[in-house]
Order: sequence, then structure tokens, then C-alpha cells
Amino acid sequence: MNALEIKNLTKSYPGFTLDNLNLTLPSGCIMGLIGENGAGKSTTIKLILDMINKDSGTINILGKDNTDNIQLTKEDVGVVMDEVGLPECLTVKQVGKVMKNTFRNWDDAEYERLLRKLSLPDNKPFKEFSRGMKMKLGIAIAMSHNSKLLILDEATSGLDPVVRDEVVEMFGDFTRDENHSILISSHIVSDLEKLCDYVAFLHKGKLLLCEEKDQLLAEYGLIHCTAEELRKLPPDTVKYKKENPYGVEAMVRRSLLSTGINVSPISIEELFVFMVKEER
Amino acid sequence: MKGLLLKDWYVMKKYCRSYVVIAVVFIAVSLVSDENMFFIFYPCLLCSMIPITLLGYDERSRWVQYSGSLPYTKAQFVCAKYLIGLIAQIVMLTVIGIAQGIKMSAGGNFLPDDFIVLMSLVLIMSTFASSITLPFIFKWGVEKGRIAYYVMIGLVCAAGFLAAKYFNRNLQIAMQANMVLTALVIAGIGAYIISWYLSVVFYKKREIQ
Repeated sequence: MNALEIKNLTKSYPGFTLDNLNLTLPSGCIMGLIGENGAGKSTTIKLILDMINKDSGTINILGKDNTDNIQLTKEDVGVVMDEVGLPECLTVKQVGKVMKNTFRNWDDAEYERLLRKLSLPDNKPFKEFSRGMKMKLGIAIAMSHNSKLLILDEATSGLDPVVRDEVVEMFGDFTRDENHSILISSHIVSDLEKLCDYVAFLHKGKLLLCEEKDQLLAEYGLIHCTAEELRKLPPDTVKYKKENPYGVEAMVRRSLLSTGINVSPISIEELFVFMVKEER
Repeated sequence: MKGLLLKDWYVMKKYCRSYVVIAVVFIAVSLVSDENMFFIFYPCLLCSMIPITLLGYDERSRWVQYSGSLPYTKAQFVCAKYLIGLIAQIVMLTVIGIAQGIKMSAGGNFLPDDFIVLMSLVLIMSTFASSITLPFIFKWGVEKGRIAYYVMIGLVCAAGFLAAKYFNRNLQIAMQANMVLTALVIAGIGAYIISWYLSVVFYKKREIQ
């Protein structure tokens, strides 16, 4: 079963359209949603959660249409938004009591364990938390009700590198269970590169690609050569090129290249930047 | 919905304490003052303001957005606020009823009809104030909805003041106007139910950005 299936999803605002989005996240996998500010990542997540109304298309979460009894579906979905919107006066303990009365499968022991692991204080009001602490509490809530799907919108932003690494590890552990899946959007592409099985690039509301990460990294690479050498390559090989006085840096498709050309590995971040520039 | 109510209870405990103090002072003043009905009506208006205050804090803390990710329907979100308002108004009506009952009995002029007229007026004011305001807030948010609330407070206070003056001076007429009063009470309760329904409809259509 797929954890998430989005078909022909469209949503228009004045000046922005999320255009005919198609995504499939298989169970047991992690998909990274990568895009610049305003690309449509948060809009996509809000549409998945039925917080805003779609113009057209379908969304299935854990095999169920997201407009059909969504509150029941949300029992199995843990969400961390870019801002954790808890009332400022609540303490971590009170938040736990509210969530215990919110989720049927709330696990007090797991919540306590995560609070300790993430070093969150029991009796401090939420308003005194730093952004990083707020995100950590959001993550603890999302992971304390036996959710099958985590939807994380910039969940690692605001965390220091050490905690970020721990959290990324927690997400990795979460998907050891083949029924668990994660959709994560982040500006910190290095986190996604470490974590994801699939990556989806969004640019100005359009999906540039959605592929298995390893397949992408195997397919694309970087070459450094002269403009003359580049011209000799088959035209479809070069996806994007950047010229400078010392030569050319080009993103190429390895499968279309003849042997004997030295191709360097490309990072997901470089791949995204090149693709966005190509699109422009 | 228990989680929503519990969350609202925690927020009320923290931010609505001043309401309790104001209500106690106003009720105390109403016990010693015979002239001004405002001191009886205002605590109930305060109670009708509680859901609006809670919605204001929800918007400020972005709970409105966050709760959209929790297993609640938009209808449950609306219902929690109406239930909180209803409970607060019933509690306040009971407190005012006990206080005014004691005052009338102590003065030796407890008349059940007078008492019912008074309580009915308080109930009508309180239900109308929140009934008219809340749908605006669920449709447009607290900032724009608050303007509607202040306009309503003004209108309800003026109406209450005039009605109280009229009933005080013309108690006999008031008794004869029992039918009018009953109709108004039914209209007040009906307005609350219709308002509840409209708020659910408006909030379901509202997109949570």
C-alpha cells in the first residue's frame, strides 16, 4: 500500500498555482519535498491535511481519500508544521494531557521518553521555549501516538546541528517499520540527502521531478570541461551548463555519455539548483 | 473534542482570571445598587466574550493552523468554543440568579415574576451578544470579527438599558408582556443554535492559511 498518493492536484491563488501535482510515497519510505520559498511545499502539505480546499485532483492518505473522514485518518498521521502552534501558556505536561485527550493511540510512556531524549523541560511554559525547543516538542507529539505517516514541514529548521542529527536519526529509526513513512520538506537539503529514499523537486508550483534518490544520483553527474569538449557531447546528455572564463561545469546524464569521460558525483542540492536554473 | 475543551480550559485559567474578578465586583455592586441594571448584565456579556478571547489567543499562537493537523473536524473546533461559551454563560446566569434571589429575599420583596423577568433579560442579552458575533469571527477571523462584536455590545447594552428601564418602571406591563418576554427568550436560545450552525458552515468553508 502507498502511504500517500497525490493525483493531478491543482490549487490556484492569485499569482500562484500548484499545477497538476502527482506524487506517490510508498509505505516504509521517506520522501523529501525540496523547493525554494513559495514553491508550493506548505500548500501541498495543507492540501494533504485538508486544511485548504483543492481545486481539482485526489489525495489518498494510507489508502483513504483525504476528504473522507479525515479526522480518523489524522489519528495515524503525525504532523510537524513550520511553526508549532501550541498555546503559549501551556507546559509540556499540559500539552501531554491535551494530546492524550486528542489521539486515541496516545502513548504517554513514549512521550515521556522523547521528552527526556530531546531534553525538554516539564514545567516551563511554551512561550519560553526557543524555536528549536518548540520544534522538538512538535516532533515529540508527532511521534507519540503510533502514527504510520509523518508529515514534516521544515521540521529540522531551528535545530542545532547535533540535535538535528539526532532527530534525523530518529526519523530513520521510525521508518525501520515497513508500515511507517515520512514526507518531509526542508530547506536543509543535506538532511534530506541523508534521510530520503525519494526526492521530489517543486519549483513555482510545478513538480520538476520525483524519483528515487539513489537512481537520481546514479543517473546524473557533473563534468568539468572546455566549451569545445562540451559541444562534442550528444545534445540530450547535457541537462544544464554553467560557463565561466576557465571552462564549463555541466550536469549530465551518465546513461547517455560515452565511456572515458570523467564524471564527478553530484549532490541533491546541486541537482536541484541546476534543475531550477534550467527551468528558468 | 475533550482535548480541545481541556486546552481551552488551560488557556481560560491563565488569561481569563481578570474576568472573574470583574464579574465578582460587578455582581457585588449590583447587590447594593438598585438603579443600574448594567452591573447585572455586564458579567454575562463578559462570559459571551470568552470564546472570542480564546479564539484571539488561538490565532496568536497559531493553534488555529496547528489544530488543523490534529484529528478534529472544523465542526468540533467550532463546537468547543460554543460549549465553553454556553457553560460560562450558564454558570454566570446561575451565580447572578443566586445573588439577585438573595438580594430580593433579604429585602423582603422576592417576587417570582420579577425574578423571572430579570433572569430572562440577562439570558437574552447574553445569548444575543455571542450569537451575533461568533459567526463573523469564524468567517473572517478575530480582528475583523471583533469590530462586529463591539458594535453588538453597544447595541445590546443600549437595548438592555432601555428594556431594563421600561420593565423597572412598568412592572405591571411587564407581567402582561410575559408573552413578549417568552418569545424573546425563545428567540435568544434559537439565535444561539442558528449562530452555532452558521459558524460551523462558515468555518468549514474557511481555508486555514
